[in-house]
Amino acid sequence: MASYPGNTQSEPAKMEQIITEFFAKSLHIILESRSPYVSSRNFSGEQVLSSPSPSSSTSSSSSLMPRDRWFNLALRDCPAALENIDFWRQSNLEPMIVDVILVQRPNDWDPLNFSPKGGLVRASSGKERYYYGSDNDEFGCEAKNEKIIERWVLQYESKKSGVYCGGSSGSKRSSCTSSNVLYKKSTLLLRSLYSTVRLLPAYKLFRDLISSAQIRLYNLGHRVSSFVEPFTRREEADMQRFVFTPVDTSCGRLCLSVLYRSSVLDVNSEPSTPISPQIIPEYVGSPLAEPLKRFPSGLISQSTPSSSPFGRRHSWSYDLYRASPPSMNPSPSPSPSPSPSPTYSEPHAAKQRPHRLPPTGLPRHLHDETPAADMKSSGYDEYLPFPMFSPSPSPSPPTNPPGGHISKVLSRSESAPVSIPASKLRSTPALPNNKLIAPLPPMKATPLTVSKQVAHSGLHQTSSRVDKLFSFSKDEPGKMLGLKPSSSTSPSKSFSRSSNRLLFPDDYDEFSGAFIVDDDDMMDPGSR
Amino acid sequence: MNCEVCQLKELDVEHFEIREVLRCILHTILFHRALGLVRPKDVDLELFEITYVQCGDAELERKVDEKIDQFIDRVEKHPNKKTQICISLYEVKNKQATWFTNKVERHHWEYWYINLNVAQHPKGHSSKSHSSKVVVDPEDTAAEARRARRAALETSLRDVLFQIIRFVNEKKDHVPSIQNLDGMLFPYEITISSSSDSAFGMDMFKRMLQTGHPTMLS
Repeated sequence: MASYPGNTQSEPAKMEQIITEFFAKSLHIILESRSPYVSSRNFSGEQVLSSPSPSSSTSSSSSLMPRDRWFNLALRDCPAALENIDFWRQSNLEPMIVDVILVQRPNDWDPLNFSPKGGLVRASSGKERYYYGSDNDEFGCEAKNEKIIERWVLQYESKKSGVYCGGSSGSKRSSCTSSNVLYKKSTLLLRSLYSTVRLLPAYKLFRDLISSAQIRLYNLGHRVSSFVEPFTRREEADMQRFVFTPVDTSCGRLCLSVLYRSSVLDVNSEPSTPISPQIIPEYVGSPLAEPLKRFPSGLISQSTPSSSPFGRRHSWSYDLYRASPPSMNPSPSPSPSPSPSPTYSEPHAAKQRPHRLPPTGLPRHLHDETPAADMKSSGYDEYLPFPMFSPSPSPSPPTNPPGGHISKVLSRSESAPVSIPASKLRSTPALPNNKLIAPLPPMKATPLTVSKQVAHSGLHQTSSRVDKLFSFSKDEPGKMLGLKPSSSTSPSKSFSRSSNRLLFPDDYDEFSGAFIVDDDDMMDPGSR
Repeated sequence: MNCEVCQLKELDVEHFEIREVLRCILHTILFHRALGLVRPKDVDLELFEITYVQCGDAELERKVDEKIDQFIDRVEKHPNKKTQICISLYEVKNKQATWFTNKVERHHWEYWYINLNVAQHPKGHSSKSHSSKVVVDPEDTAAEARRARRAALETSLRDVLFQIIRFVNEKKDHVPSIQNLDGMLFPYEITISSSSDSAFGMDMFKRMLQTGHPTMLS
């Protein structure tokens, strides 16, 4: 009973299966406590409000699902996780990045702070389709205030590559880890993941979301992808990292880490420090920026939670994220959420929204603008090798219609692809570069600085990479365990789902049934 | 198999906080050592903004509560001594029924020491629970101080939980194979000891040697 459910034959096959299931379980654990989504069991549009408080919640008391046997951890149903993992399973153990996004609705009760949508919609438009867990309808595509509050990075790193993520552990690797040991260690890791997820500040948001019957002024969304928009250094400075000790296997190691905001709700701690003037002219062409830049800090404090945050949102129109905290005040859960080691020191740092345009101090390399940059500590520099100036544009830009009529500067991120519910993971890779492509003209218009040029070339680079996405084909199945970071991080893998189902049908049969999802209707209650 | 010891950071608690704090810590540890099939159960603390995880096993819950009762009892009986609670995990070694030993041999592979420093209550103080330090402070100042103290404890408790998580993360080799696991949890015992500060380390050492220490008797 205590052994792992896989009954595959060879040792490498067992290990691969364990690793695959580890990804699945991790995603399930994370989303189960971040996606305020009724389980398929009691699905109903409005039941979110009445769902039981987590304080007494246990996983479903019904009979064991086959997947519960994995790592001896029975979890509640989580449709969001199931459908995402279904996509991921078809890739070659590529990294899995889970962004947990705080979405704040434009509060109906205070129309004054409602912002012109112009610059705001664009950023969210590209992301909306990833909010499997949030009820999109409720928020519609009105101006939203979004902020990534957690980024979970899960990846398997091949030993061959010689590049390991994190680098923080420095643990000695036993070269002959058996599948039993791997299973034990990943079980332990998942136990601590399960606990950790509940100790991070974002959990309080989730808990309040599903337990309170009050009108929700925010929601939690998530996005699962194989790579992501990078954070800037300064933005990262606003976050804390928790790195789980990697689990070594005979061929590499399993890495799990989370970057999280320690102050998801703590608005008072955020001073309205004006940012350096050097950055402002670059991306804030909007007249909105100037007045707001000078907003007295007092206004931004909690005394006027509603207006000031949105005011700032204008000024940093592309930066939806930072503006959000203040408006959290009126939310049902206003109390500050403590974290093990809060850093309120540099909240304004994140105002430099990383991915749209690299601000001054930002990218160390051109490729920082690529999604890879975000994982600098994780050996993602491997992205560099990709050809940089491939001509063909990403397929996504054309798909974004709304950008056109909006101020060019603001439209930058608007270029995110329209939501195409059909293929979530597939479209993910397009995200970052879209955002870069649209802004190009306006960038040229403004006086160029070094950083701008960086952004410029970054743009080409990313588009070329996207190109690769579509041209690259399947990976060799044989590499499943020996993923090189360079290849594993390659976006191309997202598209290789069709072919290599390297894993073992026999073992997965019981699971695949559980993970069948309907692409078009992610909220389908019957998806499980 | 080697044995690992984790000394958890000491927490300054008041009497009325003991139960919640201990529940939280004990269950968190046990959850991490419950490598058999578990249906986790989230529990929100009432005094703190903290959610911890239980194994979802009523019997285990009962045992933990029982030990906490013992702990509280001990604290009340020996207010001047530090009281420590320890979870030890062991494996049952082959019980060779020889002449002298028909006992099961326990091979301990891990010790968790939970250190609480319980603030002493002034006897006869009528105001229920709250800070014993409150003497002449005006009402609101006292309330403020209580809040601050509570917040500090919450932070410390969170730190302890992360300490547990880190330990679990970093030390995995000594944990017995899951194949040897029979049931949800590895065999464990929860022991309570109290001693004066000076004898504390020795107490721990002795208990590691499996000797009966006077203070272990209830």
